[in-house]
Amino acid sequence: MATISVPLIGGRAVEGKRFGISDILRWTVDHKVIGIQYMLTASFFFIVGGALAMLIRWELLTPTLDIMADGQQYNQLFSIHGTVMIFLWIVPMMAGFGNYLLPLMLGAKDMAFPWLNAFAFWLIPPAGILMLMGWFVGQAEAGWTSYPPLSTLYSLDGQTLWAMSLHLLGLSSILGAVNFIVTIKNMRPVGMGYFQMPLFVWAILATSIIILMATPFLAGALTLLILDRVVGTQFFNPAQGGDVLLWQNVFWFYSHPAVYIMVLPAFGILSEVLSVHARKPIFGYRAIALSSLAIALVGFTVWAHHMFTSLTPELRIPFMITSMIIAVPTGIKVFSWLGTLFMGKIRFTSAMLFGLGFLSMFVIGGISGVMLASVPYNIHVHDTYFVVSHLHFVLYGGSVFGIYAGLYHWFPKISGRMLDERLGRLHFIVTYISFFFTFFPQHILGMSGMPRRVAVYAPEYQSLNVVVSIASFILGISTFILIWNVIVSLRAGKRASANPWRALTLEWATSSPPPVTNFIGDPVPYRNPYGYGSESANAYLNALESAYGPSEHPSPDAPKAIKPAPAAGD
Amino acid sequence: MNLSTRSPGSAGSGISPIWVVAAGLAIIFGGLLIGSFAPAILPPQASAESRQIDALFRFMLAIGGSIFLLVQGMLVYSVIRFRAKPGDASDGAPIHGNTTLEFVWTIIPAIIVTVLALYSVSVWNSTHSIKPNEQTVGAVGARYAWTFNYQLDARALPSGVTLDQLEPNIRAAVENGGLTLSSTQLHTWVNQPVAVSMNTQDVNHAFWIPGMRVKQDLLAGRTTEIRFTPIEAGVYRIVCAELCGSGHGNMAGSVDVNGNLVGAWLIVHESEDAFRSEFFDPLARAALFPPEDPVERGRQILASGVYPCASCHVVDDLGWNGAVGPNLNNVGSRAATRVAGESAEEYLRISIRMPGAYLVPGYNNLMPQFNAEPGQPNYMPDDDLDAIIAYLLTLKTS
Repeated sequence: MATISVPLIGGRAVEGKRFGISDILRWTVDHKVIGIQYMLTASFFFIVGGALAMLIRWELLTPTLDIMADGQQYNQLFSIHGTVMIFLWIVPMMAGFGNYLLPLMLGAKDMAFPWLNAFAFWLIPPAGILMLMGWFVGQAEAGWTSYPPLSTLYSLDGQTLWAMSLHLLGLSSILGAVNFIVTIKNMRPVGMGYFQMPLFVWAILATSIIILMATPFLAGALTLLILDRVVGTQFFNPAQGGDVLLWQNVFWFYSHPAVYIMVLPAFGILSEVLSVHARKPIFGYRAIALSSLAIALVGFTVWAHHMFTSLTPELRIPFMITSMIIAVPTGIKVFSWLGTLFMGKIRFTSAMLFGLGFLSMFVIGGISGVMLASVPYNIHVHDTYFVVSHLHFVLYGGSVFGIYAGLYHWFPKISGRMLDERLGRLHFIVTYISFFFTFFPQHILGMSGMPRRVAVYAPEYQSLNVVVSIASFILGISTFILIWNVIVSLRAGKRASANPWRALTLEWATSSPPPVTNFIGDPVPYRNPYGYGSESANAYLNALESAYGPSEHPSPDAPKAIKPAPAAGD
Repeated sequence: MNLSTRSPGSAGSGISPIWVVAAGLAIIFGGLLIGSFAPAILPPQASAESRQIDALFRFMLAIGGSIFLLVQGMLVYSVIRFRAKPGDASDGAPIHGNTTLEFVWTIIPAIIVTVLALYSVSVWNSTHSIKPNEQTVGAVGARYAWTFNYQLDARALPSGVTLDQLEPNIRAAVENGGLTLSSTQLHTWVNQPVAVSMNTQDVNHAFWIPGMRVKQDLLAGRTTEIRFTPIEAGVYRIVCAELCGSGHGNMAGSVDVNGNLVGAWLIVHESEDAFRSEFFDPLARAALFPPEDPVERGRQILASGVYPCASCHVVDDLGWNGAVGPNLNNVGSRAATRVAGESAEEYLRISIRMPGAYLVPGYNNLMPQFNAEPGQPNYMPDDDLDAIIAYLLTLKTS
């Protein structure tokens, strides 16, 4: 066991670089700026996708067409809503967290390939513009899954732009993943083996492996789609010997693992947030780390459960079995997080509230996921609002709540300012309740017979749809509480110390925001990133406080007596 | 790492075993209670399959409900019991894991999913298997309507009808493989296993009857099948569940302002006799003894739903209220003025054979092309076309 308990005595606070608008808009290879660029770009598209969702829910207030001219316009709304939220919000947002945090967590000065990192980011804005440009040429209308022949023979030119945009985003994703893997492999500090890495790093590693293995299949499918649409090939046209199931298979071979691309980094964020704010070591570190890899691996064998109503009947059972197996490593994670909370000293910071919200909502998505894996039941609810509900519990209740938790947790590090905790709690309460009432009733709608992707529906489903729509409007508005919080906190928030949460991972062992080189000298990581509750960890954290200033909850035996910090910003 | 072997459930937290047992029982009964809501959420059970599938769902909901209560219960308990008191800046217990506990929460979910998988396989094997004496029906999906095809051969003639009464060409058709009768609705009767063989004329669709709990995609270039056995007489909405374009939401059964069923519905009659007398025999008689008058024949063809016009066009005489294509009331007088030098009859003929040739302003080119040659998609014989045009020319504004 390592004996270094207080490696950073003698470390000093330096004035970190705060980033202005001009820094954000220019080409730079600093991973921190690139991380912020990712996050801001993704957040912009979150608002775009959210606005589309609001239009969808407005249309669905009544069973007939109201605000849309025809079904086609409505189809374009949800097609772009889904694509934007997946490929331009969650995936790049997670890449933003990865970019900002990974070198800091590893005590490195930058990513392994800084120039490639910047290039991967700068593919995203043009790709996003390309996708939105579809509205000028007839936007894609075949859903984010874009099944042929609807997407080939029956769609307008926006579908081609859609495919080209996804090509760029896929490339960006692959380049980012290569960079993450090489960085994790080669740039860990002395004393940090794979099993001393923070779990967020493990999550990014597992995610990057999935991206590297799966995204080329998306590229393959998109290439065939573009060829069919533009060059006149017939890969997906059965009248000319093509096959419509070819797309479904190749597309889902990417897009099911893509679910884990979106949710594993959120798992990583959750592991950090729960442990730090419950003041307790993560329960079953190895189980959580390795279950990410298990999910990554098994995740490649389950794709056809998205095709239970189109797949040859004989093949359905094998995919049901693999899909159910994946519940086991996911369950391990959930129970390990519960074990982390048990006997902790839970602090109800905004980050922790969203972490707890994640845990409680993601469980619902997990349970409905196992139900969906069961072929006979899936047949009934396939392509209904039950699936819409399930996927939003996973991707909103999971990924987006994870992103929120991460934002509250790392905003002080990124900006040097604390977010307002009162606004944070308000944001959590409004989001949590309106989220539940937006998505939970959709289970019932789907089971009772409402298909997804319809602008008109049977009148008996109206009352629940009104509940869903109203809740969704509140959910949409709740986002602005966070945006407002970010704006006021950036201007006048309380100054953040280096380590406001008394966390043991390395990104907190430097000033907030960190200097351009991240650290002064080579930092030595504390031997266990989750070693809370031990005397040596306490000594290490106290040493950090004496070097960099007090945390939000200073230890009573810290070197200097410090007044209790108010919860809200000053 | 400091791996503690203390069990957080027993040592340290001071929870007595009685409370653990009580919580366990509460979780199990709570799960059963949640499971009992299943029938209230699902549509009424109307098929043999729905009984098995609902039982499976109820089982999964009970287990899922228990897991939900367990996790949320643990969460709420921890949040209340282990919250940091004001001013307490100390850390929690340095527990890094517990191998026994981790083993248990790996094995128990593994057992649960194994049981679920076995149960699901048994339900699946019984629900999708081929049944004896199936009624076979053909289904065709087209943007945005369903057509159901029934075979009429010599054995299925309506009572009182003999082959001798038929005109020679119709008799020959009946004897050589049979006539195809078409309807926008799927008719069957109680306890009759149905096998539907499905094709699409354009994009993928999905055939779903929520009341029967069955769904199957229609795939371009393939024939797919679906099976179910209704056990309750009644009407059940048929829904398209795979995005097929602008009118996807309209590709389902609906009810008009007068309470009539419009579009795709499954009609389950009380008995085979009722099925024949209320549905099959009148349809068969109309096909066996076609009216001489082309106008009447045209009306009969369109009303039968053999061509999916109803989903897009308005014809008051037939009760059509589609909103995607032009209104056909009084179409004859408008068609005569559309293209200089072309009669209304010629204009309509071209508009059906080549819908893209003339577009009514304000409408897109969405209509399928109806071809004159057998074997082509959307085959419409010249006889039918003549009769349809004759009928359309008689339509008046109502």
